[in-house]
Amino acid sequence: MKVTIKELTKKFGDFTAVDHVSAEFDDGKLIALLGPSGCGKTTMLNMLSGILPSTEGKIFFDDEDVTDLSADKRGVGLVFQNYALYPHMTVLENVCFPLRIRGVPKKERIEKAMKFINLVHIEDYLDRKPAELSGGQQQRVAITRALIKKPKLLLLDEPLSNLDAKLRVEMREEIRRIQKESGVTTIFVTHDQEEASSISDSIMLLKRGVQQQFGTVDDLCDNPVNLFTADFLGTPTINQVHGTWSEKGFVADGQTEIISFNVNIPTGTRLIYASRAEALKLNQDKQFEAEILEKYKVGKDTLVRLKYGNGSLRAYTEDKTIQIGDIVGVGMKDFGVFLFEAESGKRLL
Amino acid sequence: MKKKKLSLTSLITMTLLMCGAVIMIFPFLWMILSSLKTQVEVSMIPPTFLPSNFTLENYIFALKTAPFARYFLNSLLVTIACVVITMFTTILAAFAFSRLKFPGSNIIFSVLIAMMMIPFEMLIITNYTTIAKWGLMDNLIALVIPFTASIFYTYILRNFFLSIPDSLYYSAKVDGSSDWKYLWWVMVPIAKPTIITIALLNTIAAWNSFLWTVLVINSTSNRTLPFGVFAFIAEGGVRYERLMAAATIVVLPMIILFLFARKYIVSGVSKGGIKG
Ligand SMILES: Nc1ncnc2c1ncn2[C@@H]1O[C@H](COP(=O)(O)OP(=O)(O)OP(=O)(O)O)[C@@H](O)[C@H]1O
Ligand SMILES: [Mg+2]
Repeated sequence: MKVTIKELTKKFGDFTAVDHVSAEFDDGKLIALLGPSGCGKTTMLNMLSGILPSTEGKIFFDDEDVTDLSADKRGVGLVFQNYALYPHMTVLENVCFPLRIRGVPKKERIEKAMKFINLVHIEDYLDRKPAELSGGQQQRVAITRALIKKPKLLLLDEPLSNLDAKLRVEMREEIRRIQKESGVTTIFVTHDQEEASSISDSIMLLKRGVQQQFGTVDDLCDNPVNLFTADFLGTPTINQVHGTWSEKGFVADGQTEIISFNVNIPTGTRLIYASRAEALKLNQDKQFEAEILEKYKVGKDTLVRLKYGNGSLRAYTEDKTIQIGDIVGVGMKDFGVFLFEAESGKRLL
Repeated sequence: MKKKKLSLTSLITMTLLMCGAVIMIFPFLWMILSSLKTQVEVSMIPPTFLPSNFTLENYIFALKTAPFARYFLNSLLVTIACVVITMFTTILAAFAFSRLKFPGSNIIFSVLIAMMMIPFEMLIITNYTTIAKWGLMDNLIALVIPFTASIFYTYILRNFFLSIPDSLYYSAKVDGSSDWKYLWWVMVPIAKPTIITIALLNTIAAWNSFLWTVLVINSTSNRTLPFGVFAFIAEGGVRYERLMAAATIVVLPMIILFLFARKYIVSGVSKGGIKG
């Protein structure tokens, strides 16, 4: 099912938690709702599920306007951050609950449940109570309970945040697999950009309730609309150096050389030069010089930290002879280098 | 060293608890033992502890002279009606005050709590006139109607309901549940220990209700057990062994109920909230 939101807004008193967000989520896709804590992700999800009424704007499921439809009639599946399993019911009863509410006879609901239970691999603890399960197991039960009613839309609110690092990676792959097998349009909330990048078809990035950018992972990484997006995505974090535009190029604070770029910017504009670590090359096509401060082994590559201007830059190199303290020439590849206006964060290059 | 200290404290605790238990149980035991003695033995000085020859004569006398079976049935009917209706209204009210948002809910709840401070004795006159007006005097229904709701139990259950995470409610809503189904399929089962505890408290209160019963009931056939015992004494004169037999008949059902429901009472009292 395709989900369309138009100018969706939620205000709590004077505070705007979600601010005029519009987007289309295509059928069968997994969309990550990404943003720092408190940016309105849960609020947005609650509006989609019908738990919270929206202050303004519309929500469409396919062509149907569901803005005023209550939660029990929307037919979405929702997995809460804390899973919200019914503590007095066994795993099987929890999973069957949505069908029980619809008056499906017991035998039939268990039959239906078993199909999903096999998909999610929780068959070994059907008779246990939620308190007797690990976080990962509880999560799978919660996902099964959300899937069993064949939702047209599956909403997951930071489902992995309670798990340890290893299980988190396993579970996100599992969620991706289940999502692909069931083909349900899914919105996945997370504040972890790596998690969002690794499993989603597209990412919507929010900041203080305002949509920053909505697109594929590659879009957001290679073509950020502003500094916030560039800064939020990518590992390691994008390099940033403050400076000024003079005539033909960028001059970093405390530096004299001009790094030239082919754009038109008024002279004297305060700028932030940002480049991905992969976009810098050492001792090739030199555009400026910098001193090596640190170096680490990362897999088969070496990651170095360079001092430049008042900031520092990270770059990858295959050159094993580089030593701490060396002055190296730095060149740039034709991707992953951006200029942002310092004040507004707007992208100029 | 530490172990020894631990066992010493537990020994003291145990001794104190045992003393407490003996003090609690002794009157009941004395009542039952006395009811099995003859008139001569009951008034003997020094008193004997165990009856020298067990006799069921007092019970036979009590059951013969007063229709205790009838009283028992009346008590049972009234108690069941009071408890069932009170639990129903309590659950609904607790749900409304904990979950539903309606204008004035806080004010109404505060007013109800304030009303708890009015002692029942103050309400007797108004209740009495109401019952008289409705023509329900000397009718078992009069024993039920004033006791079909309880602010105190509502308050206890509301507090428990408030401790149930909101996310369960929203989760059930998203699963397609109505408020009604959520209440009976999720909240009530989770609150089972608390509900059983207040139902037991309510049962005891209803079973022992005396003052109101004496006021509105006249005919012998409509008496409940406590009233029946009272009338039995009043009519039969003070014969302690017979009195004790009658009292045993009144108290025994409650003691049996307690023994069976012990598990729930303990868990209801000790489990204040639920784990998240
Ligand atoms: N019921 C409410 N009343 C007032 N403010 C609220 C309410 N619910 C949320 N907010 C505010 O709205 C903002 C967004 O909250 P929300 O829960 O959507 O954040 P989030 O993106 O899910 O954060 P997190 O990653 O920490 O879960 C927060 O600043 C929060 O304080
Ligand atoms: Mg949240």
